[in-house]
Amino acid sequence: MSKEIEKVAAELWAAKGKAVVVCGINNVAVQNLINGINVMLGSYGTTIDLTNTNNLRQGNDAELVGLLDEMKKGEVAAVLVYNCNPVYSLPDGKGFADAVKKAELSVSFAYTPDETSAVCQYVCPDHHALESWNDAEPKKGHFSTTQPTIAPLFSTRQFQETLLAWSGIQSNYHDYMMAGWASMLPVGMSWEQFLQKGVLENAAAPAAGLTSKADLNAAASSLNSEKGGAFELVVYEKTGLGSGVQSNNPWLQELPDPISKITWDNYLAVSPKDAREKGWAQGNMLSIKTATATAKVPVVIQPGQTPGTVSIAVGYGRNGVGKTADSIGVNAYQFVSMLGTTLSYTGAVEISKTIEEDYSFAGTQTHHTMMGRAIVKETTLEEYIKDPKAGNEEELFEVKAGKDIQHKGTEQVTLWNEHETGQHHFGMSIDLNSCIGCGSCVVACTAENNVSVVGKDEVRRSREMHWMRIDRYYTSDADPKEGESAGMAQLQKMEVPSDMPKVVFQPVMCQHCNHAPCETVCPVIATSHSSEGLNQMTYNRCVGTRYCANNCPYKVRRFNWFKYPDNPQFDFHMNNDLGKMVLNPDVVVRSRGVMEKCSMCVQRIQEGKLNAKKAGQPMVDGAVQTACSQTCPTNAITFGDYNKKESTLNKMREQERSYHLLGELNVQPNVFYLTKVRNVSEGKEA
Amino acid sequence: MAKRIYGIFDDEEVLMHAIPSLKKDGVVCKDVQSPFPIHGIEPLLNIPRTRISIASFLYGISGTSFALWMTWYMMVHDWPINIGGKPNFMFYMNLPAFIPVTFELTVFCAAHGMALTFLLRSKLLPGVTAPVPHPRITDDKFVLHVDVKDESKVNDVVALIKKSGASDVLLNSMQFS
Amino acid sequence: MSGNNEAVVRDPLILGKKTYHQMTEDICRPIEGKANKMWWVAFSVAFVTMIWGIICLAYTVGNGIGSWGANKTVGWAWDITNFVWWIGIGHAGTLISAILLLFRQRWRMSINRSAEAMTIFAVICAGLFPVFHTGRPWLDYWMLPLPNQFGSLWVNFNSPLLWDVFAISTYFSVSLVFWYLGLLPDLATVRDRCINPTKRFIYGILSFGWKGTARDWHRFEEVSLVLAGLSTPLVLSVHTIVSFDFATSIVPGWHTTIFPPYFVAGAIFSGFAMVLTLMIIARKVLNLQEYITIQHIELMNKIIILTGSIVGVAYTTEFFIAWYSGVQYESYAFINRATGPYWWAYWSMMTCNVVTPQLFWSKKIRTSVMATFIISIFVNIGMWFERFVIIVTSLHRDFLPSSWTMYSPTYIEVGIFVGTIGLFFTCFLLFSRVFPVIALAELKSILKKTGNQYKKKGIL
Repeated sequence: MSKEIEKVAAELWAAKGKAVVVCGINNVAVQNLINGINVMLGSYGTTIDLTNTNNLRQGNDAELVGLLDEMKKGEVAAVLVYNCNPVYSLPDGKGFADAVKKAELSVSFAYTPDETSAVCQYVCPDHHALESWNDAEPKKGHFSTTQPTIAPLFSTRQFQETLLAWSGIQSNYHDYMMAGWASMLPVGMSWEQFLQKGVLENAAAPAAGLTSKADLNAAASSLNSEKGGAFELVVYEKTGLGSGVQSNNPWLQELPDPISKITWDNYLAVSPKDAREKGWAQGNMLSIKTATATAKVPVVIQPGQTPGTVSIAVGYGRNGVGKTADSIGVNAYQFVSMLGTTLSYTGAVEISKTIEEDYSFAGTQTHHTMMGRAIVKETTLEEYIKDPKAGNEEELFEVKAGKDIQHKGTEQVTLWNEHETGQHHFGMSIDLNSCIGCGSCVVACTAENNVSVVGKDEVRRSREMHWMRIDRYYTSDADPKEGESAGMAQLQKMEVPSDMPKVVFQPVMCQHCNHAPCETVCPVIATSHSSEGLNQMTYNRCVGTRYCANNCPYKVRRFNWFKYPDNPQFDFHMNNDLGKMVLNPDVVVRSRGVMEKCSMCVQRIQEGKLNAKKAGQPMVDGAVQTACSQTCPTNAITFGDYNKKESTLNKMREQERSYHLLGELNVQPNVFYLTKVRNVSEGKEA
Repeated sequence: MAKRIYGIFDDEEVLMHAIPSLKKDGVVCKDVQSPFPIHGIEPLLNIPRTRISIASFLYGISGTSFALWMTWYMMVHDWPINIGGKPNFMFYMNLPAFIPVTFELTVFCAAHGMALTFLLRSKLLPGVTAPVPHPRITDDKFVLHVDVKDESKVNDVVALIKKSGASDVLLNSMQFS
Repeated sequence: MSGNNEAVVRDPLILGKKTYHQMTEDICRPIEGKANKMWWVAFSVAFVTMIWGIICLAYTVGNGIGSWGANKTVGWAWDITNFVWWIGIGHAGTLISAILLLFRQRWRMSINRSAEAMTIFAVICAGLFPVFHTGRPWLDYWMLPLPNQFGSLWVNFNSPLLWDVFAISTYFSVSLVFWYLGLLPDLATVRDRCINPTKRFIYGILSFGWKGTARDWHRFEEVSLVLAGLSTPLVLSVHTIVSFDFATSIVPGWHTTIFPPYFVAGAIFSGFAMVLTLMIIARKVLNLQEYITIQHIELMNKIIILTGSIVGVAYTTEFFIAWYSGVQYESYAFINRATGPYWWAYWSMMTCNVVTPQLFWSKKIRTSVMATFIISIFVNIGMWFERFVIIVTSLHRDFLPSSWTMYSPTYIEVGIFVGTIGLFFTCFLLFSRVFPVIALAELKSILKKTGNQYKKKGIL
């Protein structure tokens, strides 16, 4: 272990002034040490900017603890709760609930019912963000505005307007904001222009340096004296659900966790090594006990979990919040503890088996390794620098062309005359190097295309409706070495991930194959190929034989097993008028018995083409974005036109890293991937 | 008007011998009804070889032609669609995919055309009354149909038929169905 | 004439001392008497089972295919397994009627009527599945190339499912015609024996006025021969086309050129097993042991060894080629079948299909009615598992391991399958009481050649 640390330290030192070490633990001693390292590396003023702050997280644990104490002593007369949910998210939420009763006045401004509003005397519901006027400074000197996009649906009042009314100020919030901004707008910019642009970025002030005054030795020794238990429990936020503010959102509940691929639940993640030693199997109900709380949770064997640690996600265990969120999972906030006046998200835990029946998870992926198949191609940075085609070698075949012998790749060998494409030939590129597996694309696609939520039971039956998914693969100890093929006995072992595997993500959606195996087998021509390269799905023609789904090698097609809209059995957002306001009017809602799949956001393509036509200009590269490409935070997905010479898509296609998933099947997909390049030293498995 | 009389035989071999011997005696046998096919009886009654198999062949050919025309019309001519990139610019390019349907339609037309022709030619349709001179011609008796031109000669003919091996001769049909 | 006599060394095909009249009496007896208690018990069970199947089917149509166990990876399971199983069973009837006629195998005559009826009923049961497995069955007629208001929007002749539409319709209608035309003379026999005027009227309509003239018989025989000649390639082509549903796809484990002969052999294999099951019961219950003799059973068992061995060889070939090809997806598909989560289905299939028919090499076993009955049931179970293994194990683990999943049926889809068994037996039991189960007229035509009293077994 120490050799690794020395190596890391050497590399950091070599990158002095261009490096930063990030602390992920809410422990003052640890943070002091990290700060000390950063001071030594000269990060402050270069990679860490203390002047132009990120204003997103401004909670103060000590103040919160102080408030709670005062409330318990009855020293607080009025409690106003805005934009938080202490009864749920504090470790001592019950204490807060009891203490609130001691105040003479308690008001909650929550816009949907939550655990805190349930115990407050008054609830004055706030507008939804989309109904509100607002401004924000997420980063120092960067301002943004919020305008209402819809008239208030219910009898709510914006929190700020409530405060204005109660303060006796005779103004609505819009005018109040406008007045406040009058002096802050730059010269030449009017209020309307500011609202229209929505963003104002002032020049950044120069970043200041820092010298640390902390006693690093004291910090180190205090850490060394900390005693842990047999297991350490880590409380974390899931990528999708976050803190739990949106746990009543079915899209987020059905979004698979990027790593475990489990939906509609939280669980205790344990390392495979600990599971083997303790005799725990996936789904066993375990009892966990910390100093402050105890609960029964199902267990997930999580490759990559550090042995000796277990983890559980917050955002679950809700109560009285809504039919989607209630009674799912366990409230993990109760396991957050106090280290002095700091909330600590790690702590000692005792784990024991229970006699309860095993739990059945609803996961979207139940096989976790690539089984020696070249699905996600990757290479290391060193290899890539030597040869850009590293990891992406192509098999060539000898083909006789007249008297000559040519060497062609799989996809150039064809018996057919090809259909011509029209003005456009659309496609997508997915950079596996950039994809972080967050799942934003999945939610965006679901929102854009009116994809149904099916609930936990149906996900258990492998019937989730997501048009795109993010496959996550672990490596296995039994994986064959490069150039070898796997023997029979080895194959079963290859199904088992390593305890500390490498992980890759791969977003997969309809590949819009030019030689689509699905199109050929539909008896009623419900799926065909457009002259612009898209695989079309004609919902109203589909009779539902499901042959297309069977023949799709990528398994991207989804079938409407039941009637999802207006069906009390699927009581999510398609079963009532309010929920249906979420639907995209440009996209059909599919009926029972019909097949659906990624359409490459054809409604957006059509809109883009129409706009170009109206403007009398050809479509500009980047004017049309699919929902996934638009939303991806790392720009891993690029949508474009192969027929446009200078498109970004074509530039990416020409890269040595580009390849087709299952290219050897010669289905000629329009979606391609760029190999992952790992920043590791040669030969070292990170 | 010739009178039709019916010779009832118990054994098909006796019947087979009876027909040529009666012919020598000047008795013309018009038809035979039997509970099962008697092989070798057609030349005795001057029944020509049926052309129904030729008809079946012609129906089959028309089935083939129709199938080829239909698939050309629908997949290549009327509304050609890009299905899986399969080339359908010319009929021969997509022809291999059409073979199963062509074959099946050939068999379909050949079989049903022939069956309908058979039923119509033999006048076998629901509701047609079967001429059954004797109740056991569909059981174990064989009926020889003889036309007597001269009504006065009926008794002679009856005697001749009985001599050739018939167990009974009916002067009128016992039609009862 | 007498030149067609059979060699004395061949065993007689009609036992006892039968006359034409005696044969008529024997074969018409089940239609003319009252049904015995055994028939009523069997019919009640079959009928109730059929009703249960109809209820499950109605539930499916009303609620959605979600009431079955299929999912995003395994789109077909019990539905198409049952479809192929029933169609396969049906093929034996056509083979007995058509191919054995072309090969002049006289022993077919006492079983061909029931076998053809079995084909009709099996194809009806089979046909239910493609119709009702679709998500919107009320729109299934869109698979027909009918002119319409959508353009006309035609159908996709590239699709094996569409070839199925033509193949199954042709097969069903031609088998029905072949069966019914053959029935006409026998229905006339029943008509002429009827005492009850209503019954006589009905059989009169059903027999189309058959009169049995020489010309009629001449054409009848020619039509039978041509239909046999047409049905033979039909049997081969229909199950080939059914196998194309799998062979022309790209799924590993499906995409293999051995499927057409493999499926056809397997169909004949399972069909003969079902014929045996039915005939062993029928000959006992209807007292027809002198017409459906041990020799008939033995001959059918010999065909079972033949086709069972072909199926066994096909399994071996498949496995060999999966390894020899070096294609990792294909070899994995087969390793998964034998050692993966559905290994129990695979080994049931191997035991029932490869091992049990080989028992018929022993003369003692293949002439034993009880052993034949038991083995025939095992063969059918094995053949069901074969289709299940092909469909489900290939689908549940294909190219991308991220989609790998498991499948298990719901009681609704099991109920539909059990219901089709009920439908099949309901139809067959009704058939046995309304129509003569043996081709009476045909059999009479060979009495003098193969009847017991006509063969003089002496020392040669």
